[in-house]
Amino acid sequence: MPTQLAVEATGLIKTYPGGRGRPDVRALDGLTLTVPAGTVHGLLGPNGAGKSTTTRVLTTLSRASAGDARVAGHDVVRHADQVRRSIGYVSQGTGADVLLTPRENLAMTARLRGASRSASLDRAGQLLDRFGLADAADRRTGVLSGGMRRKLDVALGLVDAPQVLFLDEPTTGLDPEARASMWAEIRRLAGEDSLTVVLTTHYLEEADRLADGLSIIDRGRVVAAGSPDELKAAFAGDTLTVDLVEPDAVLVRSVAARIAGLGDVVVHVEGPTGRLVARTPDGPAVVGPTIAALQAAGVRHGAVGVSRPTLDDVYLRHAGRSWTAAESAATSSGSPDASPDGSSDGSSPHDATGTVRVERSEVAR
Amino acid sequence: MSALVQTGRPTGGRASWATQTAEVCRRWTVDLVRQPWGLGVSVIQPVIWIVLFGNVFESIATVPGFGAGDYLTFLVPGILMMTVLYSGAWAGTGFIEDIRSGVMDRLLSSPVHRSSLVAGQLAQQLLMATVQGVIVLGIGWLAGARYDGGVLGLAVALVASLLLAAAFCSLSAAVALLARDQTALIGISTIIVLPATFLSTALMPVALLPDWVETVARYNPLTWATEIGRTAMSTDVDWGLVASRGALLTVLAAVVAAWSVQAMRTYQKSL
Repeated sequence: MPTQLAVEATGLIKTYPGGRGRPDVRALDGLTLTVPAGTVHGLLGPNGAGKSTTTRVLTTLSRASAGDARVAGHDVVRHADQVRRSIGYVSQGTGADVLLTPRENLAMTARLRGASRSASLDRAGQLLDRFGLADAADRRTGVLSGGMRRKLDVALGLVDAPQVLFLDEPTTGLDPEARASMWAEIRRLAGEDSLTVVLTTHYLEEADRLADGLSIIDRGRVVAAGSPDELKAAFAGDTLTVDLVEPDAVLVRSVAARIAGLGDVVVHVEGPTGRLVARTPDGPAVVGPTIAALQAAGVRHGAVGVSRPTLDDVYLRHAGRSWTAAESAATSSGSPDASPDGSSDGSSPHDATGTVRVERSEVAR
Repeated sequence: MSALVQTGRPTGGRASWATQTAEVCRRWTVDLVRQPWGLGVSVIQPVIWIVLFGNVFESIATVPGFGAGDYLTFLVPGILMMTVLYSGAWAGTGFIEDIRSGVMDRLLSSPVHRSSLVAGQLAQQLLMATVQGVIVLGIGWLAGARYDGGVLGLAVALVASLLLAAAFCSLSAAVALLARDQTALIGISTIIVLPATFLSTALMPVALLPDWVETVARYNPLTWATEIGRTAMSTDVDWGLVASRGALLTVLAAVVAAWSVQAMRTYQKSL
């Protein structure tokens, strides 16, 4: 390994002009990040947290307004060209020309990076085989499925055997099957000895499953860092969840407030159903008293569950707001993650929050 | 399996400027060929113009002061220059599409010369302009125009059309990279192209133009290129005119091309 740290960034600040007299948007606000070589590192945060901006600065696409960053040992501003030779970058958009075939896209990328014509075709063939794209190799990229196109994007990032591969939201917009398949690919990449993968995601489950190390990003800063297990372990206690039927929120809150061992009580009501969520140092011990208290007060309820802390809980603690609230705040105020030409990832707030909820219950299981 | 990704560096990091430019040019050429509609329109357009203008304005040749003998022979160099101008207006749309899709991000984060991205696309535009030019001259000949200047005259006219194309394609590219908006690009191009056509000698001899139009036309690059084409394709070539207008077009093309490379750098700085 040429370097011990694949990424070393200190105090990154990035502001974009607000436009039309509005104040500047501060996408990065003193972000500091280190990524050891040979690991998979996740940048986790809701839309608009600054993950993509961080990636764009580290890949030399954008220049930070202040702060320093080194990637694969090279300064991203002074030695941008060395950085570009050492990295692969898979952006949120497609990196492939839709009118060219996957083989042509890969070969062109290899040619631009200095391979001879025959070496570039060899390299294209290797990567097509490896990513299971051989059957689609000579069809136009534009007609391929979303999952195949995303695999091609990742293959394009690997053409020149990079030391660091940046994946910006590699599974956003993919169906569950394609997402699982992409996860398998990324896990295989993680097995490569000298490859470092830096991955941004707003899916908690994705971060939990793939990353060796995580940096939780909120409002342009890293608010917590560590392995997923470390981050969750630092968070003692369990989460108690009770499904409610036609609840009276005020009544439920007052009942819950009298139950010993319950804290941070939240009652959501949605139409005829609702949910009580609370934190407790000892989940199993509090289930019985909770059911008894609710029944005594005449509150009808469904399933009662206890779960270990999730990254959502970790996020809630460090960012001081819930994931869902952060997501909708970002989407309604205009995301600083969106590039200046307006091409953000395009997922609607409902999409994002909906997915997070689903992911969360899966993690909880 | 793990060996596959990390087997040495298959490429060595960065190709030469010429290889990169050629590869970018090849990519746009393949793209163009795979969009038969765009290709078809760019060929059909000059056919329509020659037939349309040739018939509508035919009687101009009978107006005293027209000077030249046959309107169609007079018209073809003008149509040749108009064709590259109208095609060139679209040159920047490829960049906007790349910015929108994410291809530009990938290219800019890779060790590709910024000037190769611009020069390679311009080279493809000039290849297309050459093919279009040959087609326009062929159609003109079939329609009855005659080129007394011979092969040399035709070659000089084509070179003039390429200089005009280089200037206008670069303008379109620069506007695309600075405005980054398809509608703005097409709007700006349309605003420039149509008046430029009528404020030139492409369709009408200078003697028949109103005074103020004549004054404007004298500074119009479309006029410069048309003048070169007309004299080079006649029996009595005014080489002084070819040289002076050629120099003007060369300087213009160089300046605008340099601006388009600068626009690529400005674009990246804005990210």
